[in-house]
Amino acid sequence: MSQYGMVIDLNRCVGCHACSVACRAEWDVPVGVDSSKRKQRRNWVERLGPDATPHGLAATYYVGLCNHCDNPVCVESCPADKVSATFSDPKTGLKKTVSVAATWKDPFNGTVQIDKERCIGCGACADSCPYTARYVIEESGTPKADKCTLCVERTAVGLEPACVHTCLASARIYGDLNDKKTEIAQYVGKGAIRLESAKVKIGPNVRYYGNKKDISLLTKNSTPEKMAEINHRRIFMARMLRPSLKAFNSNSLIGLLGTIATEKGDNA
Amino acid sequence: MAFQMTRRSFLQASATAALTTALSGWLASGAKAQSGFVKKPFTAPGSFGNTTTVTGGICEMCFWRCQLVGKLRDGKLVKLEGNPKSVDNGASLCARGNAGVKLLYDQDRLKFPLKNVGKRGAPVWKKISWDEALDECAARLQGVIKNNGPQGIAIFPHGASATYPMHYFEHVVGTPNNSEASFFQCRGPRDIAYINTFGVEAGESVDMPNAKAILLIGTHIGENIHVSQVKQYLKGLENGAKLIVVDPRFSASAAKADIWVQIKPGTDSAFLLAIMNYLVKKGAYDKAYVQKNGEGFDKFAKAIAHAELEWAAKICDVSAAQIKEVADLLAKSAPHVSVHPGRHVTWYGNDFQRERALACLTGLLGAIGVKGGFVKAKGPKLGKVAWPDIGVEHAEQFALHKMAEKHKFSPPGTPTEMLRNTAISGKPYSIKACVIWGQNPIQTIPGQQETIKMLQQMDFVLVVDLMPTDITMYADILLPELSYLERYDIVKTGVQWDFNDKHQQYIAPRMPLVSQVSADHQRKDSVWITNELAKRLGHAKHIPAPSAEAMVDKILAAANLTLAQIKKEDGIHLQPGSNPYGAVYPIKFFNEDLAEAGYSGAPNYTPVPEPPQGFARLVYGRVPVHTFNRTMNNVWLNAEIPENPIWLSEETAHKLGLKSGDKVNLVNQDGVVSANAVTLKVTQGIRKDTIFTAHGYGTKNPAMTNAVNKGFDEQSLITNPAVDPETGAHGMRTSFVRIMKDGKILNIPS
Repeated sequence: MSQYGMVIDLNRCVGCHACSVACRAEWDVPVGVDSSKRKQRRNWVERLGPDATPHGLAATYYVGLCNHCDNPVCVESCPADKVSATFSDPKTGLKKTVSVAATWKDPFNGTVQIDKERCIGCGACADSCPYTARYVIEESGTPKADKCTLCVERTAVGLEPACVHTCLASARIYGDLNDKKTEIAQYVGKGAIRLESAKVKIGPNVRYYGNKKDISLLTKNSTPEKMAEINHRRIFMARMLRPSLKAFNSNSLIGLLGTIATEKGDNA
Repeated sequence: MAFQMTRRSFLQASATAALTTALSGWLASGAKAQSGFVKKPFTAPGSFGNTTTVTGGICEMCFWRCQLVGKLRDGKLVKLEGNPKSVDNGASLCARGNAGVKLLYDQDRLKFPLKNVGKRGAPVWKKISWDEALDECAARLQGVIKNNGPQGIAIFPHGASATYPMHYFEHVVGTPNNSEASFFQCRGPRDIAYINTFGVEAGESVDMPNAKAILLIGTHIGENIHVSQVKQYLKGLENGAKLIVVDPRFSASAAKADIWVQIKPGTDSAFLLAIMNYLVKKGAYDKAYVQKNGEGFDKFAKAIAHAELEWAAKICDVSAAQIKEVADLLAKSAPHVSVHPGRHVTWYGNDFQRERALACLTGLLGAIGVKGGFVKAKGPKLGKVAWPDIGVEHAEQFALHKMAEKHKFSPPGTPTEMLRNTAISGKPYSIKACVIWGQNPIQTIPGQQETIKMLQQMDFVLVVDLMPTDITMYADILLPELSYLERYDIVKTGVQWDFNDKHQQYIAPRMPLVSQVSADHQRKDSVWITNELAKRLGHAKHIPAPSAEAMVDKILAAANLTLAQIKKEDGIHLQPGSNPYGAVYPIKFFNEDLAEAGYSGAPNYTPVPEPPQGFARLVYGRVPVHTFNRTMNNVWLNAEIPENPIWLSEETAHKLGLKSGDKVNLVNQDGVVSANAVTLKVTQGIRKDTIFTAHGYGTKNPAMTNAVNKGFDEQSLITNPAVDPETGAHGMRTSFVRIMKDGKILNIPS
């Protein structure tokens, strides 16, 4: 199985914010906060420092996006009715049918995705994410959770993720972490780190590479220290209030996304 | 509408479209079959499905002018990307470039010609027709010309669209009173200093990818983003260049530096003189190069002989050992040293001499025409569209700095300070009309109250712009322009960003990516507006191009190209370039012309006023997502960095009981208080005697609904600008400030 992810090379990043704006343009992400005051953005750049570190004065950037975690708490927290979904592996053609709620971790490419049609907009996933990578889009009147998809829609047709495409510093390295030949895997070999703490160990697949002082500043400022409390009452309310849709079995819906990836895989 | 689509991009786009259609078609039928219910599409479509790709865009979110493609869906621009054919920015854009979509569709953009039926500064707008607007402009400009002569018109241009009208007013109407912000409040002293040292403009012509050492004086790449330059800088660092950053603040560049020189503001020239003197005394300079190409070297050496390391260390408040370390590193890395000339260099009013010092240091290191050094690549040759020079002789006679025999090394135009003083005093003549094109003098020029006085005494003020910036509140007539995404305009030329790559020249005319025509506005391009004014002022026969499109075709004709041809070539014409290395420039270490004019022939250091007791010096810089005030209303960029924090040293903050996140104002030496309280950023990354913020914030015009009152306008605090004696350019890091919290003014401890 593949695990797609990203490494941010802080030695290269100049903190220009092109990635976050390109993403907004690509996915038409609204500007502002949702009704729970979560910032609406799929990826972000936060300037850190200048601040003292054990390795000297440092200034760097927290370049954030969904971590497509190994053990995504957002997936566990989704209260939507489960349906059976079939995924296919673009490399081997293998198929796998699993039961998923409105958000899931793809068993073949490792990305965490949302089925917007079945999302009930309760925000439980957003509440649960210790990296604040999720939020709710409410602008249409029908709330839907949103987050970085790692641009699977773009990569399926042979394009790079929008943030990678625009990055003038080549600071964003996208690829399959499980394929030892990839540049991203080599970065892991060189010591690219995860933003994890004693209480937050869910296997984020966005990693950071940089010199000691920048990594020190980043980990000190941007590592989540605790898992979020999930507001069960709100989830319950959302379930009560949601339109009484008959959950439809999206069995081959997800399979089709897989098929697109397969076509790409075959062409590549 | 100009859809420039290649066969390849057409095939790509249609393949994508087919796939997407198949997907959504399937989804719809699948959903129907299973649930009898067609779902709403909650998933954003992205920029790649069902879009067409249009080439030929040239960005103007800043003035670096990256090459663009647009992604259009149903005639609407959904995304901008770098043109993959570009050998300059490539497929990359910065945050601003990416946000161009939101300038194009900004609801606050000027839409119709407007007449101010209220007061200047407190406008009441009446929508009028283009004919009414142009007739009134012509009549009132004609009135000023009749009463005061052509010199009675002052112009304040900025940006590509302002070039054509600027030349019209200078060359045909005949006014010398042109205050270009890009010269007098930005690059002027730099280019004039290099011209008077090497004979060529500085640009930012340093070969950073191949440098062994890069020296940045105040230049903060990372906060200042110009795509191909950032690529060059990063390539240099990746290739092992040592980075030396001289800055009172731990800037984005300082964070990547091998040596950070935390210099006292205003003393950079002393630092440079000491390095040069050290290299000369030690004989650690490129003697062969200097002997062969240097002029006035002995006089220069003598003039800087006093500049010992200890002397500079005391002035610059850094250690002599560190200055020596920098000098040794430069000598060791020579000639492969990028001594960066800077860009915005109008700091203290001693800036021309600092730029001369940078040029002389480059020469001493023999860092000219060699890998890693000062290298100017040969770009393609193009034609010109020029207004005839019928008014130039008259203009020359009334050039204020020439009449006063001051600022003998002024960049083209008239030094702003002289122009404004003349307008206010009426001496030696009256300046009674003002044409402001793409510039926002309220925020570009220090001394706001003086600028407002100048505007208030005018008989007529015309402003042409895209957005209702603060200056537009002072217009009598306000005209709406087409954006860079909707018009034909300049032709951007250059070479590949990395000299290690195949030598290529590019020619990329700006072509519209979206239709100019829309029912909700009546915007026009500057060529059309200028021509209509010229016709009404009796200059119809001098019009050099009937339209912007014709202007560009005329420029291209000299290179045997046409717009039609370049459209076929995806918006960028590439042709073989030449090896950029090997150029030799004579170096005027001592410039006799300067000495004869009464200035220092060798680079010198003039001390600047010290902050009074209880004050710190206010310095300013950029944030990467904004170009001055121009981009502040952009909803995407505004969301990234909505205000400009105030940087204060940790030591000072502790003494004053302040912490990061406090909301504070600044009060300057004249008692001017910054308009909006902003967030304090307490950091070890700034000197105690210095306070920093970012430029361009604090819009006052409520018509800029996203930007208004966000952050504060640091220009409002610069009430004591210096003037560079050689060039007449402003010095703007001259203001001294204290902190105000909850209405209480706090002294900065020394």
